[in-house]
Amino acid sequence: MKVEGEREFAAPRTTVWEVLNDPSRMAKTMPGVESFDVHDDRHWTANVKIPLGLGGLRMSVNMEKTEEREPEFAKMAIKGNGVGAVMNMETSFHLSEAGNETHMKWEADVHLLGPVASMGQRVLQPIVNQQVTHVLSALEKQVQEAQAS
Amino acid sequence: MTETTVAPPKPVVVEEGKPQKGWAGQNVPRKEDKRLLQGEGVFFDDIKRHEMGYVHFVRSPYAHARIKSVDVSKALELQGVYGTLTGDEVAILTDPFFELSVPPGAHMKDYALAVGKVRHLGEPVAAVVASTRELARDASELIEVEFEPLEPLVDARRAQDDGAPILHDEAGSNVVWDGTFDWGDFEGAVAEADHVVKIKELHFDRFSSTPLECSGCLVEYNRGTGQWTMYCNHQMPGVGAIWMAPSLRVGLDKLRFVTQDIGGAFGNKICLHPYFVACCLLARKLNRAIQWTEWRTDQHTANAHGNERWFQDIEVPVKADGTLLGFKVRAVDDCGAFPRYEPLGCIIWAQVTPGCYRWRNIRVDFTQVTTNKSPVSPNRGYSRMQHLWLTERIIDIVAHELGLDPVEVRKKNYVKHDEFPYETPNGCIYDSGDYARCLDIALELVGYDQLEKRRAEAKSRGKLLGFGIGSTLDSGTNNFGQSMILNPELQFSGNNEVATVKLDIFGEIVVTLGTVPQGQGHETTAAQVVSDILGCSPDDVNVRPGHDTYWNSHAGFSGTYASQFAVTGLGAVKGAADMLAGEMRKLASVVFGCSDEDIELAEGQARIKGNPEAALPFMALGAILNANNAGLPEDLDVTLNCRYVYRPPFEKPDVERKYGNLTLTYATQIHACIVEVDPETGVYEIVDYAAVDDCGKRIHPQIVEGQVHGATAQALGAATHESFTYDADGNLMTPNFYDYHVPHALDMPPMKNGFIESESPFTPLGAKGMGEGGGAGIHAVCAALQDATGKTVTESCNPYNRVWELLRSEDGHVEVTGR
Repeated sequence: MKVEGEREFAAPRTTVWEVLNDPSRMAKTMPGVESFDVHDDRHWTANVKIPLGLGGLRMSVNMEKTEEREPEFAKMAIKGNGVGAVMNMETSFHLSEAGNETHMKWEADVHLLGPVASMGQRVLQPIVNQQVTHVLSALEKQVQEAQAS
Repeated sequence: MTETTVAPPKPVVVEEGKPQKGWAGQNVPRKEDKRLLQGEGVFFDDIKRHEMGYVHFVRSPYAHARIKSVDVSKALELQGVYGTLTGDEVAILTDPFFELSVPPGAHMKDYALAVGKVRHLGEPVAAVVASTRELARDASELIEVEFEPLEPLVDARRAQDDGAPILHDEAGSNVVWDGTFDWGDFEGAVAEADHVVKIKELHFDRFSSTPLECSGCLVEYNRGTGQWTMYCNHQMPGVGAIWMAPSLRVGLDKLRFVTQDIGGAFGNKICLHPYFVACCLLARKLNRAIQWTEWRTDQHTANAHGNERWFQDIEVPVKADGTLLGFKVRAVDDCGAFPRYEPLGCIIWAQVTPGCYRWRNIRVDFTQVTTNKSPVSPNRGYSRMQHLWLTERIIDIVAHELGLDPVEVRKKNYVKHDEFPYETPNGCIYDSGDYARCLDIALELVGYDQLEKRRAEAKSRGKLLGFGIGSTLDSGTNNFGQSMILNPELQFSGNNEVATVKLDIFGEIVVTLGTVPQGQGHETTAAQVVSDILGCSPDDVNVRPGHDTYWNSHAGFSGTYASQFAVTGLGAVKGAADMLAGEMRKLASVVFGCSDEDIELAEGQARIKGNPEAALPFMALGAILNANNAGLPEDLDVTLNCRYVYRPPFEKPDVERKYGNLTLTYATQIHACIVEVDPETGVYEIVDYAAVDDCGKRIHPQIVEGQVHGATAQALGAATHESFTYDADGNLMTPNFYDYHVPHALDMPPMKNGFIESESPFTPLGAKGMGEGGGAGIHAVCAALQDATGKTVTESCNPYNRVWELLRSEDGHVEVTGR
C-alpha cells in the first residue's frame, strides 16, 4: 500500500530537519508508542500498540535510516513484527524551502503480511489515513515547539 | 405437486414414482428436530471436563517462510498457562501423515505443526494451552517465532515454471500428480466435425462451504490404556484414524472418536487430523483434557478450501447441427499447500466425465500442484463441481459462438431417457434419469415461454436480462477403486456401510448407524425404512444419535460423505432390518408352532396371516428371547440383534485404461436462472430461479428439498460473492464474513422446486445419494450473465465488480474454426 502527501510547516527547513532526525521528538509523533530506544544515529526500536478495530495490534518495530542528504532528504526502512502480522515499510521525505516556510513531500510504501493484511485495503486504508493524519499533526506540534524554543 | 418456496403461478408438473404404501416417501416429523430446536443438541463444544485446558494455535503470518526459531519461554512464564507444543516436538513424536499420491506428491511431508517451513498463511506453527480460551490466545502473543521469508507461489499456472518457488523441497516439484485421460478418438472427432470451438482459458474460483459450527474437539488421554478419546465434529472418523494412528505410532483402536450433533460439515471436517494430532500430543504431554475450538477467521484462512482449477486450451469438435462430438482440455488443479485428501480430486471428476451429455471422445490432461494457499479438502460437490462447470460452460459458449439455442443444444446432446443405464466413455454407468424432462419442468417453472417479453420489459427499465441453465449430476456411492487409477499401490476398492437393528427386551427397536450424521436427518430416514420392514411406526424405532467409534459398528468406508447415505447407509439399515424381520418371524413361528412363512409383521405385532388374534406384540418377542427363553429349540439361531454390511456391486477399474464404474448412482439437478444486470454498475439480481432434482426414490421429500435448498445456496454463493482471493504475497484478502459473503436468507432468490423420481435400478431402495448438488446453480448464474452481457464468462465467481469489468472488456477468449 502506497501513501504519500505534502505538508507545509511554518518553520525554517533546518528546524524541520532537526525535528525529523531527533528520535525523542519523533517518538512523540508515533501512535501508541509504549517504549522507544535509540541505539545509534541510524537505528531505533520501538514497541507500539497500533489502534486497530476493537483491539490494538502490538508490534516491535525496528527502524533504520538508510539514506540521508542533510537538510533535504532522508529515507528509512522500518520492520515491524506482531502476532500474526509483519510490516515492512520504506518511507522518505524531501524538504524544500518555501520562503520562511518549509515544504515537505513524503511517501511511504507499507507492506503488510498476515491476518492484518488480510483485512483488506478497504479496512486498512482508513486506519492508515487516520494514523498519517495523527502523525502529521503531532509532527507539526513538535516543529512548533522546536521553533518556539 | 411438491411444496415450493414460492408458489408458482400455475401448478408444477412433478412426476412421482409409483405410489407406495408405507412410511418411506412421507414427510414424517424429523426425530432430530425436537432436541435441536429446543437447544438440547450436544455438540463437541458442549462437552466440558474438570481442569481442561484450552489450546490456541500460533499461526504463520507468511505464506512461505523458513522457521528460524520458536521461543515459547515467555508464554510458559504466564500464570495459567499449562504448556506448549512446537513443530520440533511434533517432528520427534510423530511421523508425517501418509500421502495418497505416487511421487512427487508421495514425498511431500505433512505434520501436525509446521516443521522447518511454513507454506501458507495461517499454518499452525506452535500451540499453547491455558486455563481459559482467552488466556491461551493472550499467551500465544508471547511465543516468539523468527521467520526467514521466502518467495511465495500463488498462481498454480506458474507452479511448473523454471525458477518457481518449490514448496516441498523433499518432492523437488510442486506437482502432486499428473496424468492423461484419453477415451474415444478425439482426433477422429475433430476430423468428423464441422467446427472446432477453441476456448483459451476458464477458471473455477477457490471457495468453500461454511458450516455454522467451526471445527474442534475435546481430547482426553487415558494413561492407563494409552487411549485417546476425541469428542469432536470430525465427519469421517474412519479415515481420520487411518491418518492419525500411524502418525502417532499407535494402533487404530487407541483412537476413539465420539460425535453426537455436528453443526454442518461439507467436506471441510474431513481433514482435521493435523489439529487433532496436535491436541492428542498436548493431552498426553500435559495429562489433562484439551479443548480446541476453531476461530471463524482461522476456519476461513487455514482449515480447508475447495479445489481451484484452471481449464486451458479447450477444444470442442461440433457438427453443424449442434451435435457435440467430444472435448479436449488441460486442467491445472490448485490444492494449496498440502495434498492431504488429494490427489483424489484428480480422479473424482471422472465420475461425471461427459456431464449430462453423449460426448464419446474426451481427452483431459490433468495436473495438480501445490501453492502457498490453504490446503483443500473435499468441499461439497468435490471435484465434479469444477468439471461439470466446465462441461456446462462449453455448452453455452459453443451455442453462443455458433448461434445455437442453448436449450436445444442441451436437449440434442443430453443422454436420452431410453438410453439408461448409460455407459460413459470411461466406463461409468449412469443408472437412470430424464434430463430433458427435468429441463422442461425447470423452463416451465421460470416461465421460459415469456422470456423475450420479460427481456424487453427489463430493457425498458434500463436493465439487461439474462437466462441461464445449469445441468449437473450428483454422483454418489464411490467405488474407492478409482484411487488405484491414481496410485496402483493403494489397496482400496469398492465401498461398504454397516448398521445394526435389534429388538430389546421391552420390545424397543434400536438402530445404530455406521454413519456420522451432520444434520442430514439420518435418524428419521433410518426409522422410516425400519418401520416399513417391521410393520410399526417410526415412533417405535429408536435410532441412536451420533456416532462413537467404540460402540457403533462401522466398516472401512463408513461415514457421511459423497452423497451416499440413501444408498449405503439405508442399504445397511434395510439389510439389518430384513434380517431382524426374518428372525422375528422365525421366533414367532416357534411360539405358534407354524411355519415362519405363515407369520406377518404388522401393527407392532408378529401374527399369523389371516388370524389377527394369534398375535405376539414385539415386546413379547423381545421378552421371550432375552428373558424367558427356557424351552426354546437348541437349533433356533435367533439373536434379535442383527448387523448387516451393505456392499455395493463394484468391480475394480481398469487402471491402464482409467476405465470402470466409479460411482453407483447419478442424481440429476437441472437449474434455471434469470438475472437482471445494471449495465452502469454491474450490480445484478437473480429475479427468478428454479431447481429441479431427480434423486430416484425420495425417502423423505422434505429432507430432499432441504438439501436442494442448501446446495443451491452454496452454488449461488459461489457464483456471486464467495471467493478466497489471495494477493501476490499469499495474503488471503477474504478471511472473514466482511469480505467473504455467504448468502443468508435475504440473499436467496425466490426459488421454485420441482422433482421427478427415476428410481435407481442398482440400489436397495431405488434411492440415489443426493445433497451435493453438483453446482448447477454456479453455472446457471454464469450462463445468465453471459446471456445478459453478451460477453464470454470465464470465471465461476462473478461479483458485481467482475461483471462491471466484463461489460467493458474485449471478448477474445474463443476462436471457432470451420471446415
